[in-house]
Amino acid sequence: MKDFDLIIVGAGPGGSMAAKTAAEKGLKTIFFERSRKPGEKNSSGCGLGPRMFRDFPEMMKELTPDKCPSMRAGTASRNYFVNNDDIVSGYIMARPTESVSYEPAKSWITMNVYRSEFDPWIAKFATDAGAELKTSTLIVDLLKEDGKICGVIDEKGEKYRAPIVIGADGVISTVAQKSGLRNKWAQNQVTLTLQYDFQAPSDKIDDIMGDETLAVWWGSNFPASYQVFFNDGFHQGLGNWMNWWDKNPLYYLNRVINLKYYQRLLKILDAKPRELQSHLLPWLDYPFNTHTDSVILIGDAGGFPCPLEAEGIYPAMVTGKIAAEVASEAVTSGDVSKATLKRFDEEWQNTSIGKEFEAGCELWNIWKALPFSPKETMSWFVPMIMEILGGIFDWSQPHALRVRQIISHVKSYMPKATPFIMTYVFPLIAKVFEDDLDKLMDPKKIMKVLPKLLDMLPQKKKKRGG
Amino acid sequence: MKIELEGLTNRVPGTGDFITIDYAKCNNCECCLIICVMNLWRKKEGKIYIVDDYQSKCLECAACYQICDASAIKFQYPTGGTGIVFEKG
Ligand SMILES: Cc1cc2nc3c(=O)[nH]c(=O)nc-3n(C[C@H](O)[C@H](O)[C@H](O)COP(=O)(O)OP(=O)(O)OC[C@H]3O[C@@H](n4cnc5c(N)ncnc54)[C@H](O)[C@@H]3O)c2cc1C
Ligand code: SF4
Ligand code: SF4
Repeated sequence: MKDFDLIIVGAGPGGSMAAKTAAEKGLKTIFFERSRKPGEKNSSGCGLGPRMFRDFPEMMKELTPDKCPSMRAGTASRNYFVNNDDIVSGYIMARPTESVSYEPAKSWITMNVYRSEFDPWIAKFATDAGAELKTSTLIVDLLKEDGKICGVIDEKGEKYRAPIVIGADGVISTVAQKSGLRNKWAQNQVTLTLQYDFQAPSDKIDDIMGDETLAVWWGSNFPASYQVFFNDGFHQGLGNWMNWWDKNPLYYLNRVINLKYYQRLLKILDAKPRELQSHLLPWLDYPFNTHTDSVILIGDAGGFPCPLEAEGIYPAMVTGKIAAEVASEAVTSGDVSKATLKRFDEEWQNTSIGKEFEAGCELWNIWKALPFSPKETMSWFVPMIMEILGGIFDWSQPHALRVRQIISHVKSYMPKATPFIMTYVFPLIAKVFEDDLDKLMDPKKIMKVLPKLLDMLPQKKKKRGG
Repeated sequence: MKIELEGLTNRVPGTGDFITIDYAKCNNCECCLIICVMNLWRKKEGKIYIVDDYQSKCLECAACYQICDASAIKFQYPTGGTGIVFEKG
C-alpha cells in the first residue's frame, strides 16, 4: 500500500490541472491514466477556448507548434446552411467581432490541437510540479475502511491510500459509480459524439480555407456538424443525446460527408479519411452530485461541459484547479467531510463556468430544440434564414416587390417559428437580462401582439403622391 | 462516397473481455443495435449478442453500456495500456 495526500483518477485536462495545482501546493499527489500516455483514449473537436488563455496565461503561452505540431488557430468560423434537399443554400463567415474584449479572443475563435499532443503537454506541467503520473493503470474501485473512502484500487488489486480522491476519469466515471454519487447518466444528460479525422496537406488548408478554420454545418437531415481544422488535417463530427438516435449514428455523419458541396471540399483539399472516433460527452443543464465525503468530481466526470455547446476542456481545467485547492485545505485541516468539500460547489459557481450555468437550462433547451432537432426545427429554420439572407440579393423582380415577397414568405414560417421563439428564445432573453424583461416577455402578451404585427406588414405598396 | 472503416482505427491487443451481456436482464429493446457506431451488436433468433471479435473493433465509447436502461450490458474499460488508440483525437 502506498500513501499519498491526494489521488486523482484520470490524466485528461481536468486531472492534469488538478495534479499540477495540488503538487504546487506541496501535496504528495498521484494521478492515474488507463492509457499508455495521456490523450490516447480521448477524442475532442478539439478547439481550445480563449478563456483558457485568459485564465491560465503562464501555461498557455507555452503551447507552441514545436511542442504541439498540430496547432492551428481557428480565426474565423463558417456556418453552412444545408437545406432539406442536402444542398448548401448559403453560408455565413464570421470573425471575432468588435465587442470582443480581450486577447487572444479578438484574434481567433478557437485554437485547435489534437488531444494526443495536448493531453501529454498539460500532464507535463503536473509531473514537473512533482506529481506522480501512473499510466497504463486502470482504477477499478475505491478503497474503503469502515465504510469510509480512503483511496483507490487498480485492476491488479494494488491499493493506494489518500484522504481525498478526485474523480477526473471522464464521462464513464468509476469514481462517481463507486462513491455512490452517480451510477449512470440519464439518457438526456449525455451525448454520443462521433467524428472522422481527415488528413489534408497543410498548404491546401492554408490556400482553400485561409483562416476560416472552424465550421458548423447546420442541416435538417443531420444534427449540427462541426469541422475543426488542424495543421495537417481536420475533424468532421456530430453528436446528439443518447435518446435521440433512430439509426446508426454513422448514418448521420456520412450524410454530411456525402453532401455534394462536402465532396467537392474533400476533393480540392485532397483530403483522405484517417481515423474514426466515437466518445460520450456529458451535456447537462446543471451539474449535480459533484462531491461527497472524501470525493470530488471534476470535468466530464462531474458533468461540467458548457450547457450550450459543450465546450469541456476549459471547464475541466477550471474545476480541476478548484478541486485541488479545496482538497489541499481539507487535507491540511484534516476535515474531508462532504460539508467541507461543499466549498467546491461554491467556488466553481463563482467562476466563468458558474456564470454559464446560471442560464444552463435555457441554453440547454435551445440547443436541444434547434441544431439537435434537425427534422423538427432546422427543416424550417434553414429555409427561413436563407429566404432572408439570400432573398434580398435577388434581382428577379423590382427590389421593393422582392422585399414584399420575402416578407410574405417568411410569414408562412410563423406558425412554426412563433411557438419556437416563445418557448425557447424569450425565456433565454429574459434570463440573460435577468428580471427586467420578464414582464415584456410574457408569452401570452406576445402571442397577442405578434400575429397582429405581422398582419400589419403591407401586402401591397400604396400608390405614392396619388 | 463510402468510407471504408477498415484501417481507420488502431489498437493495442490484450484487452481481455470487457463487455458482457446479462441475459437475465436483457429485454430485447434493441437500443444497443442502433447506437453502436461500429455495428458490433446483433440479433439472431431473438437473441441479442456482441460479435466475437468485438475486442478488435470496439471504440470503447461505452454507448452500448450507457443506452441499456435494463443494465444488461456490463462494461469495464479494457486492461490498462491496451485497446483503442486515438492518434488524432
Ligand atoms: C467528439 C467530442 C468533441 C468535443 N469537442 C470539444 C471542443 O472542441 N472543445 C472543448 O473544449 N471540448 C470539447 N469536447 C469536450 C471535451 O473533450 C471534454 O469535456 C474534456 O475532455 C473533459 O476533460 P476531463 O479531463 O474531464 O476528461 P477526459 O478528457 O475524458 O479525461 C479522462 C481521462 O481519464 C482516463 N480514465 C477514465 N477512466 C479511468 C480509470 N478508471 N482509470 C484510469 N484512467 C481512467 C481516460 O483515459 C482519460 O484520459 C468534445 C468532446 C467530444 C467527445
Ligand atoms: S440495450 Fe440492453 S436490454 Fe436492450 S437489447 Fe441491448 S442488451 Fe438488451
Ligand atoms: S463501446 Fe461503443 S463501439 Fe464498443 S461495442 Fe459498445 S457501442 Fe460499440
